[in-house]
Amino acid sequence: MKLVEIISKETIDLSLDADDKEECIEKMVEKMVKSGAVKNKDTYLQAVLEREEKGSTGVGFGVAIPHGKSEGVAAPALGFAKLARPIDWHSLDGYPVSIVFLIAVPEEQAGNEHLQILAAIARKLMHEEFRNQLKEAKSPEEVIQVLETI
Amino acid sequence: MKKILAVTACPTGIAHTYMAAEALKKAAEEKNIEIKVETRGAVGVENALTEEDIAEAHAIIIAADTDVDEGRFRGKPVVKASVGEAIKNPGKLLDEALDKKPTSQDYIAEIQKTKAERTAQRTGVYKHLMNGVSYMIPLVAAGGLIIAISFIFGIEAFKEEGTLAAALMDIGGGSAFALMVPVLAGFIAYSIAEKPGLAPGLVGGMLASKIGAGFLGGIIAGFIAGYIAKWLKDAIKLPKNLEGLKPILIIPFLGTLATGLLMIYVVGGPVKAIMDGLTKWLSGLTGANAVILGLILGAMMAFDMGGPVNKAAYTFAVGLLGSEIYGPMAAVMAAGMTPPLGLWLATLLAPKKYTPEEREAGKAAAALGISFITEGAIPFAAADPFRVIPAIMVGSAVTGALSMLFGATLRAPHGGIFVLLIPHAVGNLFMYAVSIIIGTIVTAILVNLLKRPIDVNKV
Repeated sequence: MKLVEIISKETIDLSLDADDKEECIEKMVEKMVKSGAVKNKDTYLQAVLEREEKGSTGVGFGVAIPHGKSEGVAAPALGFAKLARPIDWHSLDGYPVSIVFLIAVPEEQAGNEHLQILAAIARKLMHEEFRNQLKEAKSPEEVIQVLETI
Repeated sequence: MKKILAVTACPTGIAHTYMAAEALKKAAEEKNIEIKVETRGAVGVENALTEEDIAEAHAIIIAADTDVDEGRFRGKPVVKASVGEAIKNPGKLLDEALDKKPTSQDYIAEIQKTKAERTAQRTGVYKHLMNGVSYMIPLVAAGGLIIAISFIFGIEAFKEEGTLAAALMDIGGGSAFALMVPVLAGFIAYSIAEKPGLAPGLVGGMLASKIGAGFLGGIIAGFIAGYIAKWLKDAIKLPKNLEGLKPILIIPFLGTLATGLLMIYVVGGPVKAIMDGLTKWLSGLTGANAVILGLILGAMMAFDMGGPVNKAAYTFAVGLLGSEIYGPMAAVMAAGMTPPLGLWLATLLAPKKYTPEEREAGKAAAALGISFITEGAIPFAAADPFRVIPAIMVGSAVTGALSMLFGATLRAPHGGIFVLLIPHAVGNLFMYAVSIIIGTIVTAILVNLLKRPIDVNKV
């Protein structure tokens, strides 16, 4: 299992412009629809927003990881965005968010390997060095390169 | 180095579970704490905590927004938090966990639970016997203590009719003790055949008592009555409209008749002979023989700390109270008190050989020991059985032997140190206390001789 199977250049945006987290999530979901990972935008979007309501996915350090498990997802996918303007995400540490990972998981698990990768990324996010590398990435290729270090 | 365990879980199990796990690991590394984190995410349970992990752990952090089974952590301090807190402030959670101290309360709760589990696990003959014994004990306790009170007026005072001493003797000896064997037999039978077994059992026990077959006769009566009643229950088939008569009329009638006849014509005589022989031998028991009996009963009490062997010695001693033999009861209780007491003393004498948890368990053991709850030794024995069990067996054997040698007697079946305060409940009180103290000291010294210093790297 390779990281490239769940993330593609199409789902990476290095300068996403959004006014609030709902707009940010919606824009990222749209990219996943384009890449083919998400087949039903509305059901997946709803799953992500419902998860947000249970508790903010703003995990601190300027990072948010909205995620959802839904029938609207065709294949496990990862979206990445650097925000043009940091936005409020009701984060655990109260700081606005500038890096967003969007995680899409199908309702019926094909296999656990994708989840393992997502889990590994989640773990890596707790390390400052990893976060800094992501912040400094200049191109989608560089983002993928950094992610592949997991 | 203290070992901390953690469990992380979140509703979707995709990201937070793992971030929290990583945050805790990272913080633990910085603080130089050993940690193991179980993640319960969408992938399933990973890095699962084993029983061994839990046994070694200082404390457990549960960082979860979903339900996590806490049952397996019983007896260990638990710090609960949300996953978010673990991500945001893992260091604080670790500090909280490190500050937690195992409390004596936890150990006592754990031991109570072990006792309950053991009771639930009993099966077959042993379970039936223990059911009978457990219903008999309150009668023995009440009877024994009330008789002891009558002695306050003088050992022979009860012989004077119309006096309070005579009344007390009538309550304790004439009634409570008289019910002992019937109740023992009745509830053995009840355990085997349920309600229909009770009447045949009680009657069989009453006959054993009348014949002079004592508690041995009672035990046999209980099993005969129980299995006959159970067999009748299964064998007799009646039309549905008469079925209701079975448990209240047919089984009690036939069961009681059969048990009664068997007791009188078959079992009673030989068992009476055995009991008479036993009673005679035990009442004449002095010197070396008394010491040997004390050694054996004592070692049995410590061997499995409340298990079947311990209960066999205990049942023997309690049963003999009904035949006015009080020495073995004293030996058995003393020997049942020294394992936890000795271990407590051991933790005081050589604290360096014990983990902080064990030192805490020692305090709990002291409280359990003075109450004659031998199970208080279990946490130590479970951790290091091949060193602890021989040591406590020797200590208990010494105590049992001394108690027998000094001719100490005990009229109540339980009570620990508290029964010593009741006048005349204990015969040769001073030397009895000496026996317990010597056994406690022997246990403590032996345990500490056998125990290795704790492995510094491991703790």
